[in-house]
Amino acid sequence: MIRCLIIDDEPFARQEVADLLDKHPDFDVLGQCGNAIEALQQINQHKPDLIFVDIQMPRINGMELIAMLNPEQMPRAVFITAFDEYAVKAFDNNAFDYLLKPIDEKRFNQTLDKVRSNMTPQPMENILPSQLAHLPCYIGSKLKVVTTTDVEFIVSDVGGIHVHSNKGVSHTQLTLKVLEEKTPLFRCHKQYLLSADAISEIEITDSGAEVTTHTGAKVPVSRRYLKELKQLLGFQ
Amino acid sequence: MSLILLLTQQMCVYLVIVYLVSKTPLFKLFAESSKRLPHKVFIYVVFSLFCILATYFGEQTTGAIANTRAMGAVLGGLLGGPVTGFFVGLTGGLHRYSMGGFTDLACAISTTLEGLSAGLFSYYLKKVGKEESLYNPAWVFMVTFAAELLQMSLILLIAKPFDQAWELVYVIAPPMLFINSLGAAMFMSIVRDQKTMFDKLSSSFSTNALKIAERSVGILSKGFNEESSQKVAQIIIEETRVGAVAITDRHKLLAFIGIGADHHLPNTPISSKITLDAIAQNKVMFADGVDTTYACSISTHCNLGSSLVIPLRSNDEVVGTIKLYEPKNKLFLNINRTLGEGIARLLSNQILYGRFEQQKNLLMQAEIKLLHAQVNPHFLFNALNTIGAIISRDPPMAKKLIKQLSQFLRINLTRTTGLVTLADELEHIDAYLAIEHARFIDKLEVSIAIPAIYHHHKMPAFTLQPLIENAVKHGTSLLFDEGVIKVKASTDGNDLLLSVTDNAGLYQPSTNTEGLGMNLVHKRLQNLFGERYGIEVHCKTDEYTCVQVRIPLDEATL
Repeated sequence: MIRCLIIDDEPFARQEVADLLDKHPDFDVLGQCGNAIEALQQINQHKPDLIFVDIQMPRINGMELIAMLNPEQMPRAVFITAFDEYAVKAFDNNAFDYLLKPIDEKRFNQTLDKVRSNMTPQPMENILPSQLAHLPCYIGSKLKVVTTTDVEFIVSDVGGIHVHSNKGVSHTQLTLKVLEEKTPLFRCHKQYLLSADAISEIEITDSGAEVTTHTGAKVPVSRRYLKELKQLLGFQ
Repeated sequence: MSLILLLTQQMCVYLVIVYLVSKTPLFKLFAESSKRLPHKVFIYVVFSLFCILATYFGEQTTGAIANTRAMGAVLGGLLGGPVTGFFVGLTGGLHRYSMGGFTDLACAISTTLEGLSAGLFSYYLKKVGKEESLYNPAWVFMVTFAAELLQMSLILLIAKPFDQAWELVYVIAPPMLFINSLGAAMFMSIVRDQKTMFDKLSSSFSTNALKIAERSVGILSKGFNEESSQKVAQIIIEETRVGAVAITDRHKLLAFIGIGADHHLPNTPISSKITLDAIAQNKVMFADGVDTTYACSISTHCNLGSSLVIPLRSNDEVVGTIKLYEPKNKLFLNINRTLGEGIARLLSNQILYGRFEQQKNLLMQAEIKLLHAQVNPHFLFNALNTIGAIISRDPPMAKKLIKQLSQFLRINLTRTTGLVTLADELEHIDAYLAIEHARFIDKLEVSIAIPAIYHHHKMPAFTLQPLIENAVKHGTSLLFDEGVIKVKASTDGNDLLLSVTDNAGLYQPSTNTEGLGMNLVHKRLQNLFGERYGIEVHCKTDEYTCVQVRIPLDEATL
């Protein structure tokens, strides 16, 4: 059984894919998502084998969504697009699977055959954005997109990953590892990522240092990362 | 008595010379007050010569010379100022001194003083701002009279023996006083008349030129063709009163008004050689009918006798000519030649401006056409995909959507860039929204509250629809929650305001495609209605974007 997730902001477009998949009993639709933030949650939760992802989606597009995923839990992906010359060119060049809207059933079936024969996710580094301009977040049940440059620091605790920006605190499904790789924030503590632009003051302490950000928040710097921080700021 | 006649004779010779000079450009030098040195030198030379000649031609009378020298000295002083006057008088005086006689010293001194005093008087008039009085013959008469009285007194004072001097003065004083004063006054009168005539002429020239400019403004900028040329030719003939006026393009006659209009027919090829030469050489051609003969190339009975052909230029390229004609029995006035060249420049500028405007408009129309013929491909393919998904589960709905999509495409593809009613624009919007509603179902809510009284209001096609499309594409479609778009109408004084507000608040002034579409709408409205109309955007990030269209409520401006 191949477990799949359908991600598209248009309900009928999702339905169309679901209808087509109905004819293939070896594919099981876990759910449908209307945007990238929901998708991120679902992927983290259900760990699907295959995602059908529309490229054009609100705020965070399909490509950005995939760039946000942990490489370990990367599912096999089939892109869907209505009209995106650049993306289509990139898919062709890299032999990625993609479908054009309106979806042609014959081509859809061929794509499923390809997926059946090879479930290994394709390496997509060269077409994915290397940096994330926006971070998908939520406050309570409200979805929110935080601009990366607004972020002061990110902290991870048992409750999850918390993004502290100059506009408040929100939470994200992204892991610290992905955030460290795909944003300009750097690691200053096992549980913290810090933006160099947010630093207002640094005070050396027994355990390393403590940074005060422009909004007045305190961020610990462990001894392990202190040297790197000093280098980054040009103190050494 | 014979002395009076002789002196009068002398004066007349001078006046004739002055009259002749006044017909040449040189006269300007007399009619203007001299401020610069070369001018003063000119005055000095001329009036010194006057003095010297007057002494030569003077009448030997009882050992002295009755003469009209005072005229030269006084006029030199009046026109040249005190310094020039002094030198004119001195030169005339020294020359007189060299001739000898018992009054030589008295005459030399008095002539110098005459020049100086007239100069001082002229200086005084300038000082008190009554320069014009310089040219008043009555004043000149009095000044000269006074100057001659001075001379007579000096002769009596200086010349020895007194008896002889008294006898001399007794004989020469009346004729010299009278003739010199009269001569100087008449000289000034000639200068003044010429000056007045010239001023009148140039003022009527300026009036003509200005009137033509005023009346013809904007005609040719709407296009250089038969119709506009006809209008301009009519204006020119009315203002210049030449025999006939013609306007041609490079190949054919566009307009002909005046004598010979019966056989010079518009829309016929250019036949006259001088016109073709003017076009080929980009040069003003003039056949005055005297040195260069002019003969009508069409009819031998044509009464036109002279012609001026001036090329009309757009940039440096000749686009046509304007021709002024006079009939055989009339001289071609120089003033009309100059005026003609001025008119040609004026018309050339208008043609150039017209072409520029036309190109700008064409470019804008092409841009608009391109923008709107280009249906957003995303929208189109997503719409087709939606219909594809619906077709099996809800065939009637799918059918309806196909109809609406067709309607939307038809409007987009066939609508011109001209004017439509607000109702047309709303129909376009409805077709568009029907598809978007199907795509996003419950994620998009649009309320259109435009009172029916505005439905017949005219506006350029694609004024409102692109704004709604923008609000969806760059606004509500990027929201995770429900998108709300409100379309409203209101008035502000004499303006109609139409607003499209979304609840996304994601407007970024630099967004390329959005900016382009909105800019075009804005520019087009400004072009059509004026600077204060167009589009205004208010945005509160993450809350709302409101795009407002301002157009005049009064449709008469369309």
